[in-house]
Amino acid sequence: MSIETYIIYGLAILLLVVSSIKDKNKTKKGLKKALKSFMKLMPVLIPLFLFVGILLTLITPSFISSILGENSGFLGYVIGMSIGSITFMSPFVAYPLGLELLENGAAYPQVAGLLVTLMSVGLVYFAMESKFFNKKAAIYRNVISFIGAILVVIVVWVVYV
Amino acid sequence: MGGVCMKKLIMKNKFLLISIIMLLVMSIIDIHLSFQALENSGKQILSMLMIVPPIFVLIGLFDVWVPRETIIALMGEGSKTRGMFLAFFLGAFSAGPTLVAFPLAMLMLKKGAKYTNVIFFLMVWSSLKIPIVFYQITTLGIQFSLIINVTMLIVFVLSSLMVDRLFSKEEKASFVAQANEYSK
Repeated sequence: MSIETYIIYGLAILLLVVSSIKDKNKTKKGLKKALKSFMKLMPVLIPLFLFVGILLTLITPSFISSILGENSGFLGYVIGMSIGSITFMSPFVAYPLGLELLENGAAYPQVAGLLVTLMSVGLVYFAMESKFFNKKAAIYRNVISFIGAILVVIVVWVVYV
Repeated sequence: MGGVCMKKLIMKNKFLLISIIMLLVMSIIDIHLSFQALENSGKQILSMLMIVPPIFVLIGLFDVWVPRETIIALMGEGSKTRGMFLAFFLGAFSAGPTLVAFPLAMLMLKKGAKYTNVIFFLMVWSSLKIPIVFYQITTLGIQFSLIINVTMLIVFVLSSLMVDRLFSKEEKASFVAQANEYSK
């Protein structure tokens, strides 16, 4: 468990105690709501995470570093950003991978494109957002993040290359 | 009728179906690949289940304690820059995968936050969480991280401000209706 997990558990327990001292009934109502929305979310989340697990088996950090290397050129950008847009990765896996890629000779802009799309564009987010909002909202946010990634690539290219 | 029903069922469970098909294909190629995949999925689901309960407790408490008027005043139609700042802080000082941000976004909508602020909150949560930014600086260096985060922040602010032109009143009202339906 990471530190942020402990913090969020601590905060939840603290507020729960304060809340039940102030008003038991309200707290009960809140917990009921929490459970209800948790139960509503699980049938959506579990298949998504099943899918993510399979993706992470196929698209591993070593697979990515085998295609994004020195001299991968323009195709390297396309592949990097496509991979980043499809899959999703914990930052604790993605950033060390980025560092490794740089050490293996991948260009800074390529790595930037991969990392930004890994964080903010994704099939999984898309599915979730079209469910909660609508398709247009999902497309909008993912396209905007992709445009952001292209801008990052350009700025990094200007600064580093 | 039957065809429509079937299609709906498939669309509703598409990630489950795709996963099953992928697992089958992987089993044909190499059964160990499927075992590995199931193990990975199990790990993903478990770590999600670890982080999700306290977040839902917080969401539930937020729902009963914070009055709608407060959120309307802080993040509603008239909130302007302050609403954006608040959305930024909520997104940046958060924990957990982006998928968990969606229920919170729905609650904000239900309580009267405007869509501009909600979408900005989602964008910040996905890319600019403070603990992750610190981690990014220690692994990738400050200059590289600064370029990525400042560029994304500018893009997120501009694209959030454009939301009112791109989404009609009816569309935004339908989001709120869905939000009410979700956290009844």
